[in-house]
Amino acid sequence: MTSEERHVELLQGTLDLIVLRSLATMGPLHAYALAERLAQVSDHPLSLNQGTLYPALVRLEQKGWIKGAWQKTENNRDAKYYAITKPGEGELKRQTERWRRLAGLVDKLLLE
Amino acid sequence: MASVRRFLLRLWSFLHADRAEMELAREIAAHLQLLEDKFIAQGLGAEEARHAARRAFGGVEQVKEHQRDTRSFRWLDGLSLDFKLGARMLIKHPGLTLVGGLAMALAVAVGATYFEFATLAVDPRLPLPDGDRVVAIRTWDTAAARVERRTAHDFLAWRAQLESVREIGAFRTVEQNLILGDGAAEPAEVAEISATAFQLVRVEPMLGRTLLDADERPGAPSVLVIGYDIWQRRFGGDASVVGRTVRLGRVPTVVVGVMPMGFAFPVAHGLWTPLRLTAEDHEPGHGPAIQVFGRLAPGVTIQRAQAELSTVASRAAGNFPETHGHLRPEVVPYARSFFDLDIGGRALYAINLFFVLFLILVCGNVAALMFARAATRESEILVRTALGASRGRIVMQLFVEALVLGAVAAAVGLAAAVFELRWLFAVLEADGGRRMPFWFKAGVSPTTVLYAVGLTALGAAIAGVLPALKVTSGIGTRLREAKAGGRGLSFGGVWTVVIVSQVAVMVALPSATFFVRRHVTQVQSLDVGFRAQEYLSVRLEANRQDVAAGGAEMSRPELRARFRAICDELSRRLSAEPGVRAVTFADHLPRTHHPRRRIEVDDAGPGPDAAVPHRVSTATVAPDFFDVLGVPILVGRGFHSGDLDVVVNQSFVDRVLKGGYPIGRRMRYLTGDSDAASTPGPWHEIVGVVTDAGMIGDDVAESAGVYHARTSGMEMPVHMAVHVNGKPESFAPRLRVIATAVDPTLRLRDLMPLDAVGSSLWLEFNFLGQVLAIVSAVALLLALAGIYSVMSFTVSRRTREIGIRVALGADARWIVASVFSRAAAQVGLGIAAGGFLVCVLTQAVTGLAAQEVLAVTAYMLLMMGVCMLACIVPTRRALAVEPTEALRADG
Repeated sequence: MTSEERHVELLQGTLDLIVLRSLATMGPLHAYALAERLAQVSDHPLSLNQGTLYPALVRLEQKGWIKGAWQKTENNRDAKYYAITKPGEGELKRQTERWRRLAGLVDKLLLE
Repeated sequence: MASVRRFLLRLWSFLHADRAEMELAREIAAHLQLLEDKFIAQGLGAEEARHAARRAFGGVEQVKEHQRDTRSFRWLDGLSLDFKLGARMLIKHPGLTLVGGLAMALAVAVGATYFEFATLAVDPRLPLPDGDRVVAIRTWDTAAARVERRTAHDFLAWRAQLESVREIGAFRTVEQNLILGDGAAEPAEVAEISATAFQLVRVEPMLGRTLLDADERPGAPSVLVIGYDIWQRRFGGDASVVGRTVRLGRVPTVVVGVMPMGFAFPVAHGLWTPLRLTAEDHEPGHGPAIQVFGRLAPGVTIQRAQAELSTVASRAAGNFPETHGHLRPEVVPYARSFFDLDIGGRALYAINLFFVLFLILVCGNVAALMFARAATRESEILVRTALGASRGRIVMQLFVEALVLGAVAAAVGLAAAVFELRWLFAVLEADGGRRMPFWFKAGVSPTTVLYAVGLTALGAAIAGVLPALKVTSGIGTRLREAKAGGRGLSFGGVWTVVIVSQVAVMVALPSATFFVRRHVTQVQSLDVGFRAQEYLSVRLEANRQDVAAGGAEMSRPELRARFRAICDELSRRLSAEPGVRAVTFADHLPRTHHPRRRIEVDDAGPGPDAAVPHRVSTATVAPDFFDVLGVPILVGRGFHSGDLDVVVNQSFVDRVLKGGYPIGRRMRYLTGDSDAASTPGPWHEIVGVVTDAGMIGDDVAESAGVYHARTSGMEMPVHMAVHVNGKPESFAPRLRVIATAVDPTLRLRDLMPLDAVGSSLWLEFNFLGQVLAIVSAVALLLALAGIYSVMSFTVSRRTREIGIRVALGADARWIVASVFSRAAAQVGLGIAAGGFLVCVLTQAVTGLAAQEVLAVTAYMLLMMGVCMLACIVPTRRALAVEPTEALRADG
């Protein structure tokens, strides 16, 4: 397995959480903006192709946690903006808690 | 909730792919546009910005594929395409289709045949209305650990008391001569059966009536219901047969009805008479051996019926502790009652596992062929991966290809299974002349079809998924490093083992076939030393009851005397016939297997091992046996009346006496199997030597044998040989008439010319031989295809290397040697192993004659040649490699 494959695999577990969190804090975003945000957060601008986001987006949308709608950007370009839904906010809360618990546990283990 | 919603949306997206596709394309285009805008803003030119945007985005097609996989059930979509592709592959690679398909078809065919057979034997569906509610009541004797069938007393009690089982009846099978007006008797199995049986089976007679309760009363007129086959064969389909009087043994009987075609209840019967039980039969523990059947009352389960039966049984055990304390009657599905132990049924089913293993083995081979093919399609697979196909998609594609092949094979296999079953039943019926039970129908049940589908899916999983996993492992790395022609792909050492063992099997199996066939031919062409085609042979049988005129059983000595008188009378009357030259008797006829016994000879002779026990064939014959058959006496004399001395055959002199002078030597029998347990019998003096007259023991060709004279009447059953003028078969009807006149209860079995004796044995061996031949042919095909695949594979992998070597000046010899060496080593090893197997096997049986060693060696050389043929095409391909082209090619 290459480093990139490993990276994606690692990300896939947390990608849903990151997308939901971004949309919750920053309001509706299109895929490009989400990808830029991701790159910004991860400090590795070219570590991941931006297209990787699309399967996650369609999965979240089908689950009803986010909702997409076509709008105009500031530069008057067409783009599909995704917004978090009510069930999505609930899911974000659940996932955040789970993540914190997990991270805490791992932290504890590593400190011992 | 979210998962359900997603599932429905995925389904919706699968059905309405166009809209989702357009939306996706639009979204990606917008995304790329935004990226481009960013790069232009960073100062790149328009063209550069577009390229940069694409790079940042990643492969557009790959992203689309991944999104589709997540969005809908794309594998479903791809599936139909895969099926089409699979069908196309069948045509494009006819070799693989033929070899792989045949092999899988054989595996499915034998698996399904056995499954159907086991189901028929253990848990069949009775072809009767509501057949699954027909049961048998079987009594288990816990003290003797066996089934007790003398249950006439309980039968009446069950009939009167059981609520949960209705229409209770019983039957027993008796052998009787059916004699029509013309006087010719033919033995037949007659079912003495309760009249309720005909209510239970709910089958209407074709003509006349079935049996009635009134027929069972003592003193009622004797009546008979006949089956369709006998009606056609013996009565010529006479429509006015009802009311006709025939004889069953001595008893005049009126035919009252004809049952329709295919009716053979209770097992395989064609004649039915009422079961009449006397008052004495009804005493506990008395009466004839009968089998009891009935039908579960509506809504009653077998468990409830069992509970009621157990209550009735415990009452009987209380009343008759002596006879019933250890009896446990049980209600079982009807057909299962013919197997004494349930454990036997489980074992029969467990053998299915063996055939599943066989399928796995065969499909493992097909998998190797598929792998070789997949490897040649590596570029295609790489391109598909580059275009975004996931590993799962590619594995799925190869699985479906195998499934398509498997489906075709399964259809062929099931058709073959029906054929095999017919064949098997024919062989089983021909052996001993017994008909199969009426629920044995040569066809495949829906359950068996389902089982075959399961086998096929398993086979396809092995033949498709294994190679797919191997060919796609690490494909991402290969893709990135642009290494088509993947050095990562190779046939492992396991494959060498497979090829070697396959070649070994291929060599050993046909040799086994050869030996089976040799045995058949030897029996068929066995020179018995006399003109067997001039003799009519027949086996004579009589029942104790039948022989006694009154119907009561007689003692053994009485029976022997009576039987001897019958034989003498028959012999006297036959000798008086104008067409008959002579008559003789024996317990075993030439060309059949004779019992083997251990003997020792006195130590007066030469040779160090004279006292070592030998195994010889034995026969007891009438004193005039050799004269009548015309078997020449080589030394000494034949039998005198009242002789206790023995006559031996030439093989006895050669093998046991090592060619020593036989007359005056003595031999005696040893009982028990080991020397320690032996207690020798009395000595017998050898008074004569005859030629080998067709005694078959362990070996056909030379079977040392001993003849005894039987002077005080033959033991039953006895074989009679009648020397006739003209064709023996034409005398058969006359013989039946004479025998009936002597005693109507004397049964004539296996009436045939003496040179046809033992044909059922040949049939069995033929069956075995043919099955072995088919399996060998498939093993051969698979092995050849395997060798061919590996060779082709090696050559195509090494094209580049060969090209370079040729460019550097390597000559053709080197190429041939390098390509050939591995295959040659594998084939050589396999053939050696096979030859070893043949030697071990044949040594265990009979050993090889010199010319047979030659034949086997020639066969092995031939196989070597055939295997090498499989290498020719790939080797030619390697020789034709042009350095420039090889280097230009991708590898």
